[in-house]
Amino acid sequence: MTSTADVRLKPAADADYRAPSRYRSRGLVLAFIGLVVASIAFVGNLVAVGQTGTDQASTLAWTFGVTTTGFALIKTAIAVVLWGILMKLWLRADSIKVALPKLVGTPAADQAALGEVDTPYGKVTVTERAPGPLPIHKMAKKMFRPMVAMGLMAVIVGLIVSFVWAGSVPNTAASAWTQGLQFLGEGMLLSGIAFLLGTILWAIRTAGGEVQESLGVRVYTPKMPRPAKAFVALMMLGLMVSIAQFVGYVVVAGSSDPVAAFAWLGPLREFGLGLILAGIALALVAIGNVLAFQFYRFQQLIQTGERS
Amino acid sequence: MTSSTTTSSDFAIDVSTKGLGYNRPQQMGRKLWAPMWVMSIMAFPTALILGIVRSNAISGGESEPTIAALGHVTTGVMFIGFTAVFTAVSFAIARILGEFRKGGGEVQELVGSEVRTLKMPPTAKIFILGMAMGMMTLLIASIIHLVVAAQVSSGSLSLAGAETAAINLEAVRRLGVAVYLGAITFGLATIVKVLRFQAIRIRELVQVSS
Repeated sequence: MTSTADVRLKPAADADYRAPSRYRSRGLVLAFIGLVVASIAFVGNLVAVGQTGTDQASTLAWTFGVTTTGFALIKTAIAVVLWGILMKLWLRADSIKVALPKLVGTPAADQAALGEVDTPYGKVTVTERAPGPLPIHKMAKKMFRPMVAMGLMAVIVGLIVSFVWAGSVPNTAASAWTQGLQFLGEGMLLSGIAFLLGTILWAIRTAGGEVQESLGVRVYTPKMPRPAKAFVALMMLGLMVSIAQFVGYVVVAGSSDPVAAFAWLGPLREFGLGLILAGIALALVAIGNVLAFQFYRFQQLIQTGERS
Repeated sequence: MTSSTTTSSDFAIDVSTKGLGYNRPQQMGRKLWAPMWVMSIMAFPTALILGIVRSNAISGGESEPTIAALGHVTTGVMFIGFTAVFTAVSFAIARILGEFRKGGGEVQELVGSEVRTLKMPPTAKIFILGMAMGMMTLLIASIIHLVVAAQVSSGSLSLAGAETAAINLEAVRRLGVAVYLGAITFGLATIVKVLRFQAIRIRELVQVSS
């Protein structure tokens, strides 16, 4: 059954599966804007090489804020395009639901027993009904919007603070707040992207189950693959590190000699983002694995006509 | 043409009797995502440890060339990690595109239809180009960081030279990251197009098989 919350995660009932995705085009435009913003900061950085003293420090301060904002815009663009993927996945599933009953062969007499079976793509659970969401799917569906929104806000507030920093160098407090806030925002944005990928995994799982259930066949659902489990762990760890680096920068903001602390906080903030990115790579791998299994299952249904 | 009359023929496609399987970038993605991922997961903690070592060196009053060299090594290793993880992400996207291409072709072949395969869209070409540019930019910057570290610790480069190099390399690294992220956006946009194509094509198969 489709819950009210799920309705917002699916395209409208009258959505045209043939229409180009507006999220795709909007995402690409936003990515282009992000690239332009990052390029402006790049030029500023090169100008800073020829400067000295306060002028150089000031330029480096605002280019830090602007560059990170450019990254944040591109990451938001990625989230918008992922939303387009989510919508198109459902429309493709609708097409499969319409077409598959007419493509399957003669029904076979024997059926897989309920429980677990081995396939070339690993163990799958066999049920009569489409499976419900896993706890991580429920969390992902709820969390991706607030994460992207809060991440973007943190980066923009950090950008404003970077302008304050640029106008008052050397300013340890403004420097610490800019770095802490912007990298917390980047971590949240990447976590939002990770949650969106979790939502896409939910959509593939749910739609695959619904297609099989609508055919009246046993529903094969892959067990949560190892990359997906590692993805969740890395993403959570990365987000915690991003929060920890923010706390670290807030503490250092009141320090009169922050150089030693900045020396480890810089790598820490990047370590946090690296962990989330490593998790995102695994989520994409898990999506590839699940899609490969679905194509295998569709071919199995077409070849054997297996029905319950 | 309105979307309500769009068919698979309106896309740039290859028509064949058999599924085309993975193309070369997709084969590469399938093979190389894992080593890239492992490299990134090793580089990130290494760079963090180097950062902590540098922090202790600052607190312990070590010489300025040592501190400058450690700074360059830390950044160099960290961005080898970022290069690897962005590459792993890009290869994982190529892998997803490969599953659509291979699976879509096999299903069409199985129902006895001609196999229509989407030609590589412009977004996919930009994805590959951007990925190559981003990777090279980040990798070269990371290597230069390590070279500068060696030079400053051996005394063949002054502290001021090391500082100038740090500012230049920071600019180049940031641009590389932006290009890489942009490339990933284009890769994902390609998936949206493939999903649209498949949603249209699978309904056409009913007419072919009946």
